[in-house]
Amino acid sequence: MARRRDEEDDDQEYEHEDQLLDDEDYYEDEDVGRGRGGSSKKRGRSDFIDDVAEEDDEEDEDDDDDEFYGGGGKKHSKAPRVGSQFFDLEAQVDSDEEEEEDEGEDDFIVETGGDLPDEDVGRRMHRRPLPLREDEQEDAEALERSIQARYARSSHTEYDEETTDVEQQALLPSVRDPKLWMVKCAIGRERETALDKGSELQIRSVIALDHLKNYIYIEADKEAHVREAIKGLRTIFGVKIILVPIREMTDVLSVESKAIDLSRDTWVRMKIGTYKGDLAQVVDVDNVRQRVTVKLIPRIDLQALAIKLEGREVSKKKAFVPPPRFMNVDEARELHIRVERRRDPITGDYFENIGGMLFKDGFLYKTVSMKSISAQNIKPTFDELEKFRTPSNNGEGEMVGLSTLFAKRTKNHFMKGDAVIVVKGDLKNLKGWVEKVEEENVHIRPEMKGLPKTLAVNEKELCKYFEPGNHVKVVSGTKEGATGMVVKVEQHVLIILSDTTKEHIRVFADDVVESSEVTTGVTKIGEYELHDLVLLDNNSFGVVIRVESEAFQVLKGVPERPEVSLVKLREIKCKLEKKFNVQDKYRNIVSVKDMVRILEGPCKGKQGPVEHIYKGVLFVYDRHHLEHAGFICAKADSCCIVGGSRSNGNRNGDSLSRFGNFKAPQRVPPSPRRFSRGGPPFDSGGRHRGGRGGHDALIGTTVKIRQGPFKGYRGRVVEIKGQSVRVELESQMKIVTVDRNYISDNVVISTPHRDTSRYGMGSETPMHFSRTPLHPYMTPMRDPGATPIHDGMRTPMRDSAWNPYAPMSPPRDNWEEANPASWGTSPQYQPGSPPSRAYEAPTPGPGWASTPGGNYGEAGTPGKAVQHM
Amino acid sequence: MFFHIVLERNMQLHPRHFGRNLRENLVSKLMKDVEGTCSGRHGFVVAITGIENVGKGLIRDGTGFVTFPVKYQCVVFRPFKGEILEAAVTMVNKMGFFAEAGPVQIFVSNHLIPDDMEFQSGDMPNYTTSDGSVKIQKDSEVRLKIIGTRVDATEIFCIGTIKDDFLGVINDPTTA
Repeated sequence: MARRRDEEDDDQEYEHEDQLLDDEDYYEDEDVGRGRGGSSKKRGRSDFIDDVAEEDDEEDEDDDDDEFYGGGGKKHSKAPRVGSQFFDLEAQVDSDEEEEEDEGEDDFIVETGGDLPDEDVGRRMHRRPLPLREDEQEDAEALERSIQARYARSSHTEYDEETTDVEQQALLPSVRDPKLWMVKCAIGRERETALDKGSELQIRSVIALDHLKNYIYIEADKEAHVREAIKGLRTIFGVKIILVPIREMTDVLSVESKAIDLSRDTWVRMKIGTYKGDLAQVVDVDNVRQRVTVKLIPRIDLQALAIKLEGREVSKKKAFVPPPRFMNVDEARELHIRVERRRDPITGDYFENIGGMLFKDGFLYKTVSMKSISAQNIKPTFDELEKFRTPSNNGEGEMVGLSTLFAKRTKNHFMKGDAVIVVKGDLKNLKGWVEKVEEENVHIRPEMKGLPKTLAVNEKELCKYFEPGNHVKVVSGTKEGATGMVVKVEQHVLIILSDTTKEHIRVFADDVVESSEVTTGVTKIGEYELHDLVLLDNNSFGVVIRVESEAFQVLKGVPERPEVSLVKLREIKCKLEKKFNVQDKYRNIVSVKDMVRILEGPCKGKQGPVEHIYKGVLFVYDRHHLEHAGFICAKADSCCIVGGSRSNGNRNGDSLSRFGNFKAPQRVPPSPRRFSRGGPPFDSGGRHRGGRGGHDALIGTTVKIRQGPFKGYRGRVVEIKGQSVRVELESQMKIVTVDRNYISDNVVISTPHRDTSRYGMGSETPMHFSRTPLHPYMTPMRDPGATPIHDGMRTPMRDSAWNPYAPMSPPRDNWEEANPASWGTSPQYQPGSPPSRAYEAPTPGPGWASTPGGNYGEAGTPGKAVQHM
Repeated sequence: MFFHIVLERNMQLHPRHFGRNLRENLVSKLMKDVEGTCSGRHGFVVAITGIENVGKGLIRDGTGFVTFPVKYQCVVFRPFKGEILEAAVTMVNKMGFFAEAGPVQIFVSNHLIPDDMEFQSGDMPNYTTSDGSVKIQKDSEVRLKIIGTRVDATEIFCIGTIKDDFLGVINDPTTA
């Protein structure tokens, strides 16, 4: 019984009060009496609802009853039955109605049609097994007794409000109860089908749910009964009868308390049409006709409208949905659109009528069906509300709009200790702290003295209160998850300075709680996280600098200018996690987490750790850089590693540079090898001299082809023509043209000019000679198979020649000296190496002694050579 | 606000520093480690002014490192809500300006700048009063009131206001 009450409440929360319900009980009971007398038409709509709600619980009892009484011809004495009277009533009414079927049905439909959409539970027609009809012949005494019993029951249950879980459990359907079967029927004919009664049936009830199209439920003990019942119904075509599991039976009939009262000023969203998804404000509700007048920001293409109104041909295809814009009557007039100004006879407001549409203050007033709007969980964004507010008078508009928003508050909105302010009523602007929260009322401890210790205020009159400087977290809305400090409070709206982006966010006070936590909000969608380096669809790449609800903001890897784009999850190809090393302007090796300073470009002077490296582009994080979440995109060669050597000259005393280069040695040796594998030296040397005419730094460099038919090949860039690059392959004697984007240039680079000094001058001879004694020393470091003539080989050595700190210096120093011919052209290379020093000297000479760190890092870099030449 | 307080820290010292200069090494390492750091409780450690005492070292098994509990006096700087500070403007943008008072970064939102000051973009973005008499731009010195602080592990960030009596520019670099 108690459960029944609950359900009734759910159903009718908005229409009836508890008190009323009880009354209804009485009323119905009386009705039963009359109903027996043949007048059942007076039943209100609520009766139906009651029936539905009760439905479930009744079954078992009914069932039991039936069995008890043999289900045969035995008379039903109602008196001892406690739970089933409503059901009974319904059944009887039905059978009554059978005689006056048409009328009854009409009645039914009209009523349900007039229902608010909240009553989702379908109406039920109850059918009793044949024998029950004999109930009607019950004598007056039995009737009286039953009524008595019922009165007694209802007056006593009236106070029985509390229900325990156990009691509730007892009401759930069990295996002994009739089962629920799902049957497919024609769409839109569900109710009709449910009402379509044939001859006497064995089934117990039929349920058509408003929200479930295409199916009806039939309650029956056996599948055969169902089959019997649906036989010959033209609205049922399927023969498939699906049994609803017992556990799900209650769900079929349980009502989500989805009822929303659409009242004026409620915010809703359009569900269909041009305005789909748009925010609208309810202006008028016609409950009878199920229609709502809403206020919208028009999406009207005036041009198209003008054409249409002139009767000219309208292009059929819908090109686009016009953006929302306030209607400008003057503009419309300019386009010779007839604008009528009319007065609404009811409200007395003036509307502009354009082509049958009503406008006021630029808004479109549109009357739509209740079905075409959704009023649930509407969370207007700030911008939307702002727009709605603009043309109308500010102050009041906002209050109205926001007060309706309060209705959307979730439970437990206020918590003990929250600072609140009263926004309505006599106590307006009173501040206080929440002490206790009851259902609707919040007890607050007022700030002001001289007031009672606690005051009970309706929740709707309260608003959370924050002061500038509070650190808060946004807990709902579009900015959910963000944290920041309150900068300004404007009534219900807070302006927050976000912790991460250092930007202002406008949020509703309701969406915010005080918190000391520092987060960025959502930092992850899928596998991509904030600050990840990602490869995008079009092969561009960038760093995620902000994660929004559906998309990422990515700072693209374009060093010339900061380019930010909004990227959807699916537009991201993959995360780039591979670690690269590149060289900075001075050919220091830069790897992730190194501190660099940007020397050129728009972000000149910024400095910070390198977060990502890709394709020679560095993403530097500068905490003082406020745009793009502190990320700066810069070319590797316009940066300089902090603490790294700026030039070779000052390297001597610079301890940091030594550290910076510590790790270098392992990395460089491969590079010479690459070169040595290359094509004929003379040839390439010649080409290089020729190619050097181009100014592009890429020319002459060794690159690796990343994509296309030559993927994986390495070669030298010979020429650059716009987007394409001609690359001389190392492994094949040919020059191929590839897209510039297809090459990666972070392979160690050769210097064309070195070739000049190197090749063709007969310098090879002394080299060869010198190499012989050297080999023992070099072997451990180098690929012994390498042909040392090639410049890659020489690079580190030359470097070490003028850099006395190279770790492997002894052999190399010697080596250098052994090549007077080759180095003759560049005398500045041997500043520290006295020519007299013998190359056999493997013992740590002066050079050795002073080489704590390897300078291999610089070794392979031709750029440096350029500088010093 | 500055405080002169005594803090304690366990210092780990590499065995190579043992010897005559152990104490000096310890102190210099302490300075290197501690000065410029920030803790939520005490704020920024500006400088170490002296060593109170160095406890007994404990040799760690396996590593040979020695842990010394060191008590030291230091000057710390911690901004408080409501405190008035003088700070140098480091950046101006349309949302407001950033200023620094020593290690502390303070943001003054445009909502907390007097209403008569308007943002002027351009080469040298600034906030200027309507009559042009007062201008806040990079390197200006301002007096501001802190209205909120956020303390991270590594920094303290504040928001401030100059929308109050006696707050605002105290030294204009252009006129100086």
